[in-house]
Amino acid sequence: MSLIDLMSMAKPEKESMRKVLAKLGRSEFIDCFQCLKCTSGCTALKLLELKPHEIMKLVRLGFVNELAASEIIWTCATCLKCVQRCPQKGSPYHVIMALRNLAVEREAKVPEAYLKAVSQILENGLSQTIQKITTRKMETFDRTSLKLPKISAPKESFQTVFLKALEEKQE
Amino acid sequence: MKMAVFWGCRILTSQYAYEMSVRQVFPKLGVELVDLREATCCGGPVKSINAFAADYLAARALALANLTGLTDLLVPCNRCHFTISEAKHRMEINERLRLRIGELLKEDGLEYDPNINIWHVIDLLHDAVGLEKIKETVKKPFKGLELASHTGCQIIRYSDLGRVDDAENPRKLDELINVLGAETVDYSEKLDCCGAVLTYSHQDAALSLAGSKIKALQGLNVDALVVCCPACQMMFDSEQKDAGTAVGAKLDLPVLYYTQLLGLALDIEAEKLGLHLNQSLVDKLLTKLPA
Amino acid sequence: MPKIGVYVCHCGLNIADVVDVEKVVEYTRNLPDVAVAKHLTYVCSEPGQRMIQEDIREHGLDRIVIATCSPRMHEETFRKTIEQAGLNPYILEIVNLREHCSWPHSEEPEKATEKAKELVRMGIARVRLLEPLERRKVSAEKSVLVVGGGIAGIQASLDSADAGLQVYLVEKAPSIGGRMAQLDKTFPTLDCSACILTPKMVDVAKHPNIKLFTNTEVMNVKGFVGNYEVSVLKKPRYVDEDRCVGCELCTKVCPVKFPDKFNESLSHTRAISIYSPHAVPKIAIINPNHCLRLKLNKDVCGKCLETCEPKAINFEQQPETIQLKVGAIVIATGSEVFDASEMPEFGYGRFQNVISNIEFERISDASGPTGGKILCPKNGEPPKTIVFVQCVGSRDKRFHEYCCRVGCMVSLKQAILAREKLGKNVSIYICFNDLRAFGKGYEEFYRRARDLDINFVAGLPSEIRNAANGSLCFDVYDRGTNKLFEMHSDLVVLANGLVPSSDLGKISELFHASRSADGFLLEAHPKLRPLESATVGVFLAGTCQGPKDIPDTVAQASGAAAKTIDLLWSGEIELEPLKAVVNKDLCSGCRICESVCPYVAIEMKTEIVDEIERIRAEVVEAMCQGCGLCASACPVDAIKMQHYTGEQILAQVHAVFEETEKVGGS
Repeated sequence: MSLIDLMSMAKPEKESMRKVLAKLGRSEFIDCFQCLKCTSGCTALKLLELKPHEIMKLVRLGFVNELAASEIIWTCATCLKCVQRCPQKGSPYHVIMALRNLAVEREAKVPEAYLKAVSQILENGLSQTIQKITTRKMETFDRTSLKLPKISAPKESFQTVFLKALEEKQE
Repeated sequence: MKMAVFWGCRILTSQYAYEMSVRQVFPKLGVELVDLREATCCGGPVKSINAFAADYLAARALALANLTGLTDLLVPCNRCHFTISEAKHRMEINERLRLRIGELLKEDGLEYDPNINIWHVIDLLHDAVGLEKIKETVKKPFKGLELASHTGCQIIRYSDLGRVDDAENPRKLDELINVLGAETVDYSEKLDCCGAVLTYSHQDAALSLAGSKIKALQGLNVDALVVCCPACQMMFDSEQKDAGTAVGAKLDLPVLYYTQLLGLALDIEAEKLGLHLNQSLVDKLLTKLPA
Repeated sequence: MPKIGVYVCHCGLNIADVVDVEKVVEYTRNLPDVAVAKHLTYVCSEPGQRMIQEDIREHGLDRIVIATCSPRMHEETFRKTIEQAGLNPYILEIVNLREHCSWPHSEEPEKATEKAKELVRMGIARVRLLEPLERRKVSAEKSVLVVGGGIAGIQASLDSADAGLQVYLVEKAPSIGGRMAQLDKTFPTLDCSACILTPKMVDVAKHPNIKLFTNTEVMNVKGFVGNYEVSVLKKPRYVDEDRCVGCELCTKVCPVKFPDKFNESLSHTRAISIYSPHAVPKIAIINPNHCLRLKLNKDVCGKCLETCEPKAINFEQQPETIQLKVGAIVIATGSEVFDASEMPEFGYGRFQNVISNIEFERISDASGPTGGKILCPKNGEPPKTIVFVQCVGSRDKRFHEYCCRVGCMVSLKQAILAREKLGKNVSIYICFNDLRAFGKGYEEFYRRARDLDINFVAGLPSEIRNAANGSLCFDVYDRGTNKLFEMHSDLVVLANGLVPSSDLGKISELFHASRSADGFLLEAHPKLRPLESATVGVFLAGTCQGPKDIPDTVAQASGAAAKTIDLLWSGEIELEPLKAVVNKDLCSGCRICESVCPYVAIEMKTEIVDEIERIRAEVVEAMCQGCGLCASACPVDAIKMQHYTGEQILAQVHAVFEETEKVGGS
């Protein structure tokens, strides 16, 4: 491929494209023809400037590395409107998820909260910690005071196997 | 009807009112809920980290359901419902994935069953229990109430996966509200996202999304917003005050779960339905109800 | 001793770039019975054909093998070539070294060359056993059935009738004119559609060689090319065609209203009315689903009866079945428009001011529901902003993957008309994905639109909403400025494309015309035979074969007419001899062949043999398409496929397993 982005001097990255395709479980990229429906209706566009059509085009041309290291891929709200409405049955959402997975593999910018969720799951099976609720009337409640059943945590084997799953390479 | 129930994370750790109201209303409609052996995450937040590990957790949820011997699994959270449904579909079309996940599950003493039906509160009530049955069981119908429904995103999209309701014109939650005697409004922002997922990375944007929707609804003079997902409830109810700050508006719209609303119509005490836990001004709504 | 001539074509570089043609010819020279073996750059060329003819004369060749591209390309040509040199045209074998060799194996030239040798060897084995065959002539009806009275059907009818053929034009609606009659103006000339169409419609009505059947549908088609037997059902108008003068007084007194189909339900018509503003024939019609008297089957109302002076109303009128004998059929049944309510996100069907291109066309037409004024359906006021949204239902894997071809030009035209009718102070935008203005004068038309201050947004909206103030609003991202625009509009016009008509399944079956993957009727070859279906004698014209504009429709219709004239002018049709033949001595009358034949080409004939009545199968030569199903199904091998006998095919199979000097490999 003879293409150079004169802003970043980046060239198409065949290996990274292949990795993204593997994560998508596809042998070819979906042919986005830049109708812009996804971006026109994107939940995260107005506030966070996410342009799904741009990501589709960049990935299609091979400019994956910059995206995987960017913050923009973490702005998707996963509302799935782009998947629903794309006339080429493309899916910017899935491409963004694949880029996120790639970012994690490369230890790039991953929002703290996601990593916290994973370590929380490893610890006791759930992605959140148990919270006490304070009502408007300033009373505090928890599961016990609300007479809700105790949460049974998974056994140790859960942690071992989940760790294995996390280490699985998707090729 | 007997079915297993997968609560996910949010309901068990903070959105207690959903669990309370679900546990209250379903027995009254002839549905017995059976808890799973243990509580684990569906894999939703893990999808961004490692799709395979996320599919593993989702398959594990179905494997836990398999342990109960039941073929139906109720998943009251929209996000869990989508995560588990998509994982199920991926394993159907990708044999290698299914086998690998099967191997890992085996190491944890579990077995995946592809024949488990995944339900959400909305289709369980609308399609399985049925509007007729609900109507018969209603003791205190709401009259003169105008409510807005928020079905959410992940149980209506994307339709190719087979979802709970129509992606462009979801009517089931509205019909479930109507059968309780209340009117529902049609509003332009109906399909807008609550923004919950953005709380992982962009809290302000998340609050703005939630705030704009509540603000628009307040302009329509509805009595309350009805939701059916703990993430949506978190944004519209628990975070309503901060959402208001984010969009520079004073927000005072009552927001509650459909199961809470249903519980009221079935004449169950407000406290048993966790209505005291709602952060939004549900008292405004409660005063409008028949005694 | 046969004298076989073998000619290996380079096909330019198509074959020669992969297959070593010299080696193939060298190999062939050494095969038994091969008198001549040559290779040329283009065998199909004039010098190439002349060379074959000279060789036939000089060397006394009596069997020819040509190793070249697919027989679908030039088999007919080469048959004529050898026929002119005195040979029977069927002692010819085409070996496909292109589609079956050089093209699929372009990466393996050595193996391809070996395969080429084998294929030629197989061809020689077959040509040894080919038998001379004669084409038979049958008489043909010098008449054409044209199905559909839109501009395609009208053009095909006029051209065929002018050439002296009898034309039967059958139209489903009460008037001819089709889609073009609904248009206001046509691109890129902005000709008034009715002005250029109605003279042709009148020509059709007046033409001595055209018999026009309106309110009529084709029910059944039997027979074969040159001799079709068609039965059509003329549905009752409940109005005497010879008496009605088209005064429309009946319409004024009729109390029943229902949505007017011609005006795309934007207005109402009456239970008795004339179908369209420039109807041909201009005769009233009563809709039996709405007329009180006909619907209730009671002696009620009858206002039209009282009012009609020529006494043309006849509630007792019956449907009439008419039998027609025709030599060829032209299918010109048109297409429908995509129903945009299948895409609920754009609000079509929910919001009154979201309309389709065809609805805008009716609004713009002076003979339409608003008298030609551009008014919003919701409040009847002229819009201050109009936005067109392209590719609704087209280029969309969820609905129709193809491009509708006319959507861009239609919206450009309507935008220009809106500008001309509403003046400078109206904002007009077109939201597009790609703007396709491909034809003669089309790019200039696009320029004209831009010069008229029509703005283009390079992007499509995801959804359309109803704003609080009643206008329509949506967000759209523009590629040119890289900005997200919020747009408010009074009127939104959706460019929903042409789709196959809902009765195309029935039409496909009636006329044995297959459909392509996109749902339209399938042409025999997309490049070289775009006017014919795969069934001999059935031609295609207009949008039933694929979406297209008026210039292309008229061209295709005239072309289809030319084909029918070509086919029928001599009053005779030559039948290809590649048919099945039953050996009556072997036939046991089991009827299996009759049951598998898809062309109803096998008849069971009763015969007395040795004083015993026996049933034997007989092939109806004119109907037989030579598919071979009967021959393979026959349990006693009593059926022979001419030119494809079992011996001929087995000889090829045996030839494959003979030795060849191989270069490595199996």
